[in-house]
Amino acid sequence: MTSVVPTAALPDTIVTTGEKNKPKNQGIGTTIVMVLAALVWISPLVLLVITALRPLSDFVAHGPLSWPGELTVKNFTQAWDIGNFATTYRNSTIVLILKVPLGVFVSAMLAYALAKLRIRFGAAIMYTVFLGLTIPIYITIVPVFVMARSAGITDSLVGLIGPYLAFGIPFEVLVLQSFIRQIPDEIVEAARIDGAGAWRIFLTIVLPLSAPALVTVLILDAVATWNEFLFALILLNSDAHKTIPVGLLNFQGQFSNNSTGLAAGILIAVVPILIAYTFLQRWIVGGLTAGASKG
Amino acid sequence: MAWVFAAPALLVYVVFLVYPALSSLWFSFTDWDGLSATYNVVGLQNYKDMPHDPVVVQAAINNLIWAVVTVVVPVVLGLTLAVVLNGKVRGKPFLRLIFYTPAVLPLVSVASIWGWLYNPQYGAINAFLRAVGLDSLAQPWLGQDSTALGATMVAAIWLRVGFPMLLYLAALQGISPDLYEAATVDGAGKWQQFWHITMPGLRPAHYVVIALSVIDSFKVFDLIYAMTYGGPGTATQVMGTWMYFNVFQYNQAGYGTAIAVVITLVAVVVSVPYVRSQTKEHAV
Repeated sequence: MTSVVPTAALPDTIVTTGEKNKPKNQGIGTTIVMVLAALVWISPLVLLVITALRPLSDFVAHGPLSWPGELTVKNFTQAWDIGNFATTYRNSTIVLILKVPLGVFVSAMLAYALAKLRIRFGAAIMYTVFLGLTIPIYITIVPVFVMARSAGITDSLVGLIGPYLAFGIPFEVLVLQSFIRQIPDEIVEAARIDGAGAWRIFLTIVLPLSAPALVTVLILDAVATWNEFLFALILLNSDAHKTIPVGLLNFQGQFSNNSTGLAAGILIAVVPILIAYTFLQRWIVGGLTAGASKG
Repeated sequence: MAWVFAAPALLVYVVFLVYPALSSLWFSFTDWDGLSATYNVVGLQNYKDMPHDPVVVQAAINNLIWAVVTVVVPVVLGLTLAVVLNGKVRGKPFLRLIFYTPAVLPLVSVASIWGWLYNPQYGAINAFLRAVGLDSLAQPWLGQDSTALGATMVAAIWLRVGFPMLLYLAALQGISPDLYEAATVDGAGKWQQFWHITMPGLRPAHYVVIALSVIDSFKVFDLIYAMTYGGPGTATQVMGTWMYFNVFQYNQAGYGTAIAVVITLVAVVVSVPYVRSQTKEHAV
C-alpha cells in the first residue's frame, strides 16, 4: 500500500518550467487542512472523553466546551454500576465466543464447496446467498420472534445465535470463496492424488492458506456481532440477558440529564471496540476492500 | 460430498433468513396481531391500507431522502478524502484511521453520542453556536420537525464517510501513475486529470461503493430508533421503524410485515444488478 514510489518522483522530473522548488514543501498545506478536518471528525469522541473525566458540577458550571477544572473517574464507576455493564459485557462476550468462530467455520465450508468442489447449482446457491446481503433484518423479526417463542428461547442468548449466524453468512461466504478460489487447483489436485479426502484438504490445505481472509472475516464478524442491536432488542427482555447495545440504550434513557455519566457510559461501551480497531485496523481495512472490490 | 460442506451454512441461512423473510410475506397477507393463536387471511388489504396511512407516506419519503443524502454525501466526501490522502500528505495511516473510526462503533452508541451533542441545554453543538455569537441558531435539533431528520442524517454521514474513502483509496492504487505522468507532459491540469484519468479509473469502484451504500441505506433502523424513536411525533419515522412500532407497539403484525415487505422488495430490486455482478464474477 505504501509503495507508490512514483508519486514522489513525478513532478520533480517532469515539471521543469518555473516551479522548481515547489515539490519540497508540497503537501504541507494539504496536510494541515486534512489534520484540521480529522480533528473536527474526531471531536465528538474527544469531547466525550473530556466530559467523562470531569465532575458533573464542573461540567454544568462551565459548559461542554470548557477545559475541566478538576478530573475524576467517579463517572466511570457510577456508570459501570448503574449501566449494568458487568452483565452486558459478559453477555456480549458469550455471544461473540459462541457465534463468531462457528459462523466463520461453516461459511468457510460453504465457500470451499463453492470455490473448489464441483457443486451442483453452485451459481444458484451463490446468487441466493449473496442476495442475503441486501435483506434488512427487520423483514425477519416477526417470524424469528415467533420461532424463538415456540422454541422457548426468547430472552435467552442462545436465541440470538441462529439469526446472527444467518445474517453473517452472506458477507463471509463472499469474501472467503473469492479468496479460496485463488488457491491454485494444482495444490488441491496434488493432495487428492496423494489420497487426501475432501475434509483433509479443507482442514490442512484450504484453511491454512486462507488464514489472512479468515482473520479478516473473524474480525469484521466480531465487530458486527458485538454491535448488533435489532435482534437483541426484540429477543431479550430481562436486564440479566441484555447485550451491550441494548444495555446502552436503557442507560441512555436513565442518564439523559447527567451528561458526564452518560459520556462515561458511552465510553465504557465503545472503548474495547476502539482499542481492537486501532490494533487490528490493517485487517479490517484489507478485508473491507478485498470483500468489496474483488467483484 | 460437496453438499456435506455446503449443508451447515445453507441450513442456517435458510432457517433463519430465507424462511423468516418468506414467512413475513405470508403474514403480510393476514390481519394477525402478533399475539393471538389465530388470524384471518385478508389478501392485499394491508397493502391497500398503506397509501392511506400518512405515517407510511412520511416514512417512505424519509427513506428516500435518507437514501439520497446518506449515499451522495458520504460518497462525495469519501472520494475527496481518498484523492487527497492519495496525494502528498503526511500521516496518511493516521488520518485514514481517524476518518474510519466512527464506522466501527455500535450504531446505538453513535446515536447516544449525537443525542448528547444535540442536547438543547448541555449539548456541545448549541454551546458552540452560542460561543461564536450565533445564539439564534441554537435550537433543539432533535426535538423539532424541521431539523430532526437532518440531524440524524448528520450522524449517519459522520459514520459512513470512512467506508467509501477506504474503497476509493484501494482503487486509486490500481491507477497507473504513468497516466498522470503522460497527462502532465501533455499539459493537463490537476482538475482535467481528475476528470479524465481518476474518475474513469475508479468506475468499478464507483459501482461497488454506490451499490453497497444504497443497500446499507435501506436498512436504516438502529440510528433512528435510538436517536429519535421516530419522533418528534412521526417526523423521523422510516419504514423500518414504523414497521417495528406497528408490530411491537400497536399489535399489527400483519400490517407491520407488509411495510417491511415493501421496503425490502425495493431494496432487493435495486440491488439485483450488484448481486448478479458478484455471482457472475465468481461463477465458473
